[in-house]
Amino acid sequence: MKPPRFGKIPGVLVAGAGILLLLPLAGLDVFLLDVLTIGFLTAVYAGSWDIVGGLAGQISLGHALFFGTATYSCALLTSLLGWPFPLAAGAALLLSTAAGAAVGTLSAPLKGPFVALLTLALGEAAHEFFLGQTFFSPRGAYSWGGEGGIPVLLGIPWFSPWIAYYAALAFLLLCTWIMLRIARSETGLIWTALSGSELSARASGVDIRRHKRLAFVAAAALAGAAGVGFAACVGRATADDFSLELSFQAATFAAVGGRGTIVGPILAALLFYPLLQGTGIPPAGRVLLYALVLLFTLRFFPAGVAGTLRERARARRMAGRKGDGR
Amino acid sequence: MSDLLLADRITKSFGTNRVLRGVTIGIGRGEVVGLFGPNGSGKTTLANIITGLTRPDKGRILFEGKDVTGMSMDARFRAGIARTFQIPDPYPSLTVVESVRVALLCSEAGRKETEGKGPGFQENLDSLLVRTGLFAQRFWPAAKLSQGCLRRLEFARAISCRPKFILLDEVSSALSARDEAELVALMRSLHREEDISFLLISHNPLILEELCDRVVAIEDGRVFWEGKPGDLAKYVPTSHHAHGDEGGNHEGG
Repeated sequence: MKPPRFGKIPGVLVAGAGILLLLPLAGLDVFLLDVLTIGFLTAVYAGSWDIVGGLAGQISLGHALFFGTATYSCALLTSLLGWPFPLAAGAALLLSTAAGAAVGTLSAPLKGPFVALLTLALGEAAHEFFLGQTFFSPRGAYSWGGEGGIPVLLGIPWFSPWIAYYAALAFLLLCTWIMLRIARSETGLIWTALSGSELSARASGVDIRRHKRLAFVAAAALAGAAGVGFAACVGRATADDFSLELSFQAATFAAVGGRGTIVGPILAALLFYPLLQGTGIPPAGRVLLYALVLLFTLRFFPAGVAGTLRERARARRMAGRKGDGR
Repeated sequence: MSDLLLADRITKSFGTNRVLRGVTIGIGRGEVVGLFGPNGSGKTTLANIITGLTRPDKGRILFEGKDVTGMSMDARFRAGIARTFQIPDPYPSLTVVESVRVALLCSEAGRKETEGKGPGFQENLDSLLVRTGLFAQRFWPAAKLSQGCLRRLEFARAISCRPKFILLDEVSSALSARDEAELVALMRSLHREEDISFLLISHNPLILEELCDRVVAIEDGRVFWEGKPGDLAKYVPTSHHAHGDEGGNHEGG
């Protein structure tokens, strides 16, 4: 008996993936193609937040730390050390995962708001560090860093916006599948329990420190993978990759889409990122729109859109069972 | 009777408040011991120390002759020390079956049966739900259960590790007479069939008289009286707030 926690992925998601597959053929310009490509990577990043913040209930407000670690690793290793991109990407993944293990270890003894405060502080410390840090090119002629960032040398001449679009879409589908597998696994079940009640989880034999660490590691690996994709597509790592806005963005997408549902935050990112970037809304307007969407969601969908729909479906199933006299 | 579990000279203070002052309680194999005492006497703190939620300042906890004082609560559960809480704290987004599944997965007994033996694990899970009377409610969200069902869920969670010792903290509080009778029957069957030892914390002397082999009364952080349940009427608490509610699941008090 498999627990009916998520049900089947609705056909509408499969249809959505089909539309995204055919969209470039409808004559999208390069700008929109780029916006959608980054939107796919942002969706993976939002899903990765949901692994630790939604599923395991460890509210991370410094999630950009893992994303930025990956983009900066790609940039520094390719530009400064001359590593080929695939090798740098592998190292970047390892480093972001290691950052996840470190943050998970530090936050494991903490609870609730203290986890949020610790991750916020670590993320901001990294942001400030890289904002003021200067790296000199091997040729010594100029320096990199700060807001201007560091170039990522991809070294793939045939890389184009079309290839980036389809690669990012395939990456999103693969990561969504991985994240749903995690959520439906025994470990995912234990993380959901941990998120619901640490006390009951401890009394049920859950090694909460190990599982908190593990959740951070998994989330950091996925956020790092999104960061590697971002570095490859944008071709530059900047201090903004560690920014508080990026961390809040992931948490906002999860709150709107439905914490712990995986699909909810991914869909929220897929909807809102292209909408906000593609329509050219200025940053101040974007923040206002985020706030309005959040207020609307919390008023009408307290558990996020996907979370509330899931709760309603469960209530209907329960009512049906009671009606059957079971 | 050799002690299965021994709380040996336990001392605990919270700031300047000395809650336990060298309490020693032993529980034999298959024995049901009642813990009685007035509000604030240190019962819940002792329960938390025995189950690993709180560390004592001095003293040690021996389980099957081994010192488990440094073991975490989850490790003690896996070793066979289970507990229920005075105020059940269910996982809000999990169903009944998922909540029990978590405990079964994390207990070593469950883990061994999971490895390469899927059906065995499932049978075990179903049997736990049937035994605790929760099979019909297995797909209900745990947060929507009645108090009686929540207590059953606590029992199902506690016995999933095939414990040798269960601590029941105010198991009958906020229950209807029918729910209480059913839980008592469940506890009796566990005691009879599995030879599980119990430490029963209760403010209800009738429950203690009915179920326990021995009752220990603590007051002001010390063992004040110990005897047979039938003699419980002889114990007169010196404190004038004997039958209040001691608090919750958390550390302190």
